[in-house]
This record gives sequence, structure tokens and C-alpha cells, in this order.
Amino acid sequence: MTTRLALIGGGENAASYKTVPPRLPNVAFVAVVDPQPDRAQTAADSLGASLKANSLDELLAGHSDEFDAIVIPESSHARSSLALQAAEAGKHVLTASPLAPSTEDAAKVVDACQSADVRLMASSSLRFMPSHQAVKKALTDGNLGEPGLLRMHRWSQPAGPTNAEDVVLRGAVNGIDLAIWLFDGLPTEVYAVGRSGYAQVHLGFPDGGMALIDEARTLPNGDGYLSLSLIGSSGAAYADDHHNRNLVFQGGDPGAIDTGQGSAALTAQLEEFVTAVEEGREPATSGPENQTALQVAEAAVTSLKSQQALRLNGGSYELA
Amino acid sequence: MNSPKFRFASLSVVKHAYLNVAMAAHPRFEPVVVADDADQPDWVHERNQEFADEYNIPYVRDVERAIADYDVQVAVVNSEAERHCDLSVRAAAAGMHVVQDKPMSNRVSECDRVVEAVERNNVKFLLWNRNCLPALIQAKQVLESGRIGNPYAVHADFYFAKDAGPRKDPNQPKKPPINWLERQKEAHADGSDGGVGVDPMGELKIEGIYPLAYIRMLTGADVRQVFARTTAHFHQACVDNDIEDLATVTLEMDQGILGTLCIGRIGAASHPDIGEIKIHVLGSKGGLVISEARPEISVYYRGQPATVYPHQRIADENNFHLPENFAQAIDTDGDTMLNARAGRAICATVQAAIDSGRSGTPVEVP
Repeated sequence: MTTRLALIGGGENAASYKTVPPRLPNVAFVAVVDPQPDRAQTAADSLGASLKANSLDELLAGHSDEFDAIVIPESSHARSSLALQAAEAGKHVLTASPLAPSTEDAAKVVDACQSADVRLMASSSLRFMPSHQAVKKALTDGNLGEPGLLRMHRWSQPAGPTNAEDVVLRGAVNGIDLAIWLFDGLPTEVYAVGRSGYAQVHLGFPDGGMALIDEARTLPNGDGYLSLSLIGSSGAAYADDHHNRNLVFQGGDPGAIDTGQGSAALTAQLEEFVTAVEEGREPATSGPENQTALQVAEAAVTSLKSQQALRLNGGSYELA
Repeated sequence: MNSPKFRFASLSVVKHAYLNVAMAAHPRFEPVVVADDADQPDWVHERNQEFADEYNIPYVRDVERAIADYDVQVAVVNSEAERHCDLSVRAAAAGMHVVQDKPMSNRVSECDRVVEAVERNNVKFLLWNRNCLPALIQAKQVLESGRIGNPYAVHADFYFAKDAGPRKDPNQPKKPPINWLERQKEAHADGSDGGVGVDPMGELKIEGIYPLAYIRMLTGADVRQVFARTTAHFHQACVDNDIEDLATVTLEMDQGILGTLCIGRIGAASHPDIGEIKIHVLGSKGGLVISEARPEISVYYRGQPATVYPHQRIADENNFHLPENFAQAIDTDGDTMLNARAGRAICATVQAAIDSGRSGTPVEVP
């Protein structure tokens, strides 16, 4: 069985997915939605898609039977409305994370997808990175013992709104999702501080677990930086760009270049999505999981604003 | 003309004697006597005597008499943490300059006594630290060059991949609690007895000085508020004594600078060397990632004992730079790189972090 995908947006989105189909024989990009015809054509050509449309409305109106799912990339600012529209049409949804700007909106998308019995997956490049998959495996294999401390740095260039709240809700939310995944449960304490272009989120987990996530959107143009370490009761794992840099000498101080992890993360998450569609099961990084990460991120924003810690009480976070 | 040599008294040498050794190795300082109070227990006297014998100097069981009789200008204090400040105060009161091992104290009020005594007697005080490791010197130079702009966030990871007695195991049958002092005395054999003393100390108190001194040096800022998580995650001795061996701290500093500290005694299996010790700095124009261990070389060989780190630090002149800085401060009536007020500020930050870890709320640094 082949899962037929419609990609929302051409340009860089199509370029990033270009290397994926040859690796996944059960996946085919059949449509590209982009209001700019030239960009849609270029993207369709690169992905081997035969359909092009100005909007999802147009695609659904004319070709609803010709695709099974939509892929909403990070560049899309209308994720939740697109996801709702797709769900109502019975299409599965793979959307960038966070899937909505708020937990309230995320709940609507989750409910809509459940009602329509379609799969909803919030893509998580962090969870699917080979390095982080290896860390998770070391943890689930029992090699690290009980997780104690997760430390994560993610630095990049300014993109979109850069007030601290946005940095949490659009960026650190993915680190929060990663922390929940690694600790296999919700944080019981949340504290956050930040400033323009920057936020750091401090999470406490049951049994003394803790996580520090710092997200910076202040680097000058060039490569970003990602570092993760997980300290367990009987071992530790270090996934760190610092270790994975090579050097280039061009005079002056040498430049450091990232060895990179290719398109492995993108391929792995697309594979998980289509497999979940085929098997009719919830995908990893499901909509409800992303909604949960968003809930914690919103607690972090409350902490940012109130300068107080929040504690999990029942199913919600309250000021401590 | 040669600079004058300072004669120093070692006031108690009960744990790893690195600072006494470093001071003795510096051309400006000369060990002349070991001294301690007569009412100390036998194990303290034994270790003091051991160091005195090694340097072929007398051991006097009377601090004030040793100071009076041996014409010393400097005191090197390396006792149990709970006695650090008292010995420093007595030395300062006698007009001696003081080099003191970390932690400054396990009580902020004791640090206040040192600040008062040092300033009233106009003597120099240096709290031992690692700020002159090559990577830290480089980090400071990069920041001073302005290449990454003004620092706005600094993060320190300070993990010691050492064991500290039996592992925490909730499934084990209940045993009598581990006595802190006895456990620390045992740890003397492998040099991991930085927490020696009657009062149990968690990793924040034992090692927190180092990364917090890095952050202080790199930012020049005081910490105003902290939020911390603390737990005994690894070692039964920490569980039994209600202290932490793993902690994370959010730091809010002067000038709006933010930061974090991750610290832990994470067990020997968790790292091939002494542990991951790193500094991350974000600035207005870029970022900086520093590994404290560099420069280092790697040596691997058949039959290599597990206790031998395959990576060896090289070009480490920290133990020269600190006494040099201390001597210059005396010569020029200048300041040391980590004076009593700075040490007190770090001790207060540590205490606030411990309090925050227990309360689950942000705590202002007193």
C-alpha cells in the first residue's frame, strides 16, 4: 500500500523532502499546494508530484480522492486550520510542531482528527534525530538506569517573533516534548526565565528528575548548535554538536563544521507516520502528546510572566 | 632584585592537599609549619603529621603558637569545611594573608565573619578555584575580545564521574545510615574527599564553587535569584544524609544576565574521564562553547587500569597562576581573583539553591 501525500508549501519544504521518497517505497508525494504557481511547479517536479493547487480548498475540491494525507511543514503559519480542514475531509495529518498556537486550538484539532478517525502526528525532528533515538534506546535498554537530568541547548538564528514567550511556544516546546518523551511522564514543576530571543525552561519530574532546556534565537547567520546530555542513575549519554564538528582552515581561526545527520530524522518521522496510517494506530509524537507539550510550554510562559514556579495539580499547572 | 618569599603555615591539611602542594611549589611561597588545634581528633592529627613529614616541617598542635613562633605571613587553610572560616578568621586576626580551600564554608554567616576579619585587618584572601585552567582563560579572552558581544546567558555543566560509596538502591534491605564523616575519611584514598567533615554536604556545597566562580569571572555579575531542583540520585550516602548528588539551578543575575548550572557526582561509569565539564555562553553577537578539559591528549594501552583516565589534561597551570595572583595581590595591595566577598556571594548562591530545591520556589540570594 502506498500512502499518497500532499505537501503544503513548496520552496524549502520540497527541497528538504526531496531525498525522502527514494528511501520509502510506500510513500508518494502526489500533490503540492502553493499559491505561487512557479514554486508549486518546481516543488512538484522535484518530488514527482502530478497535482498542483493554489490552496488546500482547491485541492480538496478537485482531487479529494487522489491523496490520503497532508504534510504541513514548519513554515506554515496556519497549521491548525489546515489540519482541521484536512480532518473534516477525512485526510490524515502530519503537521509541524506545535500543531496549534495554544492548547485550546490543539484540542480542537485533536478532537477533529479523532472524530474523523484519521491519524494526527506532530512532527518532531528532535525525537527522530538519530542521535536522540540512540539516547532513547540506551535509556529503554536500561543502560542508563533511571533518568535524572536532561540538559539541552538549542541555538539558532532569529526567526519569526522573538519575544521570550514565542521562543517558548514555538521553539522550546519541542525540547519540552523531548523531555516528556525521555522521562516518560509529565513534569511536576515548571519554571522559566527569558529575554528577547531567548528562553530557558526548568522542569522537575517525579522521583527527582530534572531538565534544563535553553533555546536561543540570537545567533548570527550560519549554523546553529544543538547539544543534549542525559544523566541516568547508572550511565549517561552525550549527543553534542561540539563533539561532532570538523575543522576547516582558511586563515585566522579555523571554522567548525557540523558533520550533520542528513535527512534521517525527516525520513524516520515520515516512515512512522505512514506506518501508523497503514496500521490504523496512533503515531509516535501523536496530536495528544503535542498538546501535552504545548500545555507545559504554556505553563512555562505563565512562569515567565509571573516569575514564579508552577506545579502540576491534577491535570493542570498552578502557581506554586 | 628577587621578590620576597612568603613563609606560610598550613592550618590543617586533612583532605587532598593540592593547594598546599601548589603553594609549596610556587617560588614565592615556602611551607614552614603545619598547625592545628590540639583538641582535634586523632585522624586529623595523623593527616597533619603526614603532610608535615612529607615537607620536613614541624607540626604544632596549637594554631596561635605556631603563628607566633614561626614568622609566617600566609595561612593556607585546608581543614574540614565547617572549620575553614574559623581558621581563616583567626589567621586574618593575626595579620596573615589567607589562602583557603573550597568550599568557603557551609554557612553564609561564617563567610560574613571572614569578610569582616579580612577587611578589618587589611589582609588578602584567596578562595581556591579553577578559573585559571587553560580553557577558562581562553573563554575569558574571547569574551574580552568582544567577538560574541555582551554575554547575556551563561551555562555551566560540572559533572564529576566519580563514585561516592554504595549506589542508591531502593530495593536493597534497609541498612544503617552511612556515617558521612566515616565515608569521607574512606574517600581520602582516591582523593574524592572534598566533602570531609562532620556536616554532610551535597554536591552544590562541595563543588558548586567551581562552576559558579567560572560564571562570576565570565560575567562579572552577582546572582540575585535562583530556582533549583536537587535530588540524591546516585549514592546511598547522600540519601542517608539528606543531601543532593545531582542538581540543576536557574540563575538570574545582575544586568539581566541569565544562566544555569548542572552539577552532579554522577558515577564513574558515566564518563570515560573525570566528567563532562562545559561552559556555554550566549552573547549579543554569537555564542561560545568551551570544554574545560581542553587541551588534552589521549593515551590508550593494553591492560590500562580502569582508574586511569585515557584522556590527560595538559598545559594546566592553574596551580601556578593562583599563587602568582595571590603574591601579586600582596605585592601591590591589589585584589585576588576570588576574594572573600566573592566567595561569600558564591556560598550564598549555593545556600539559596539548596533552599530553593527544598521549597520548590525561586529564592533570592541573600
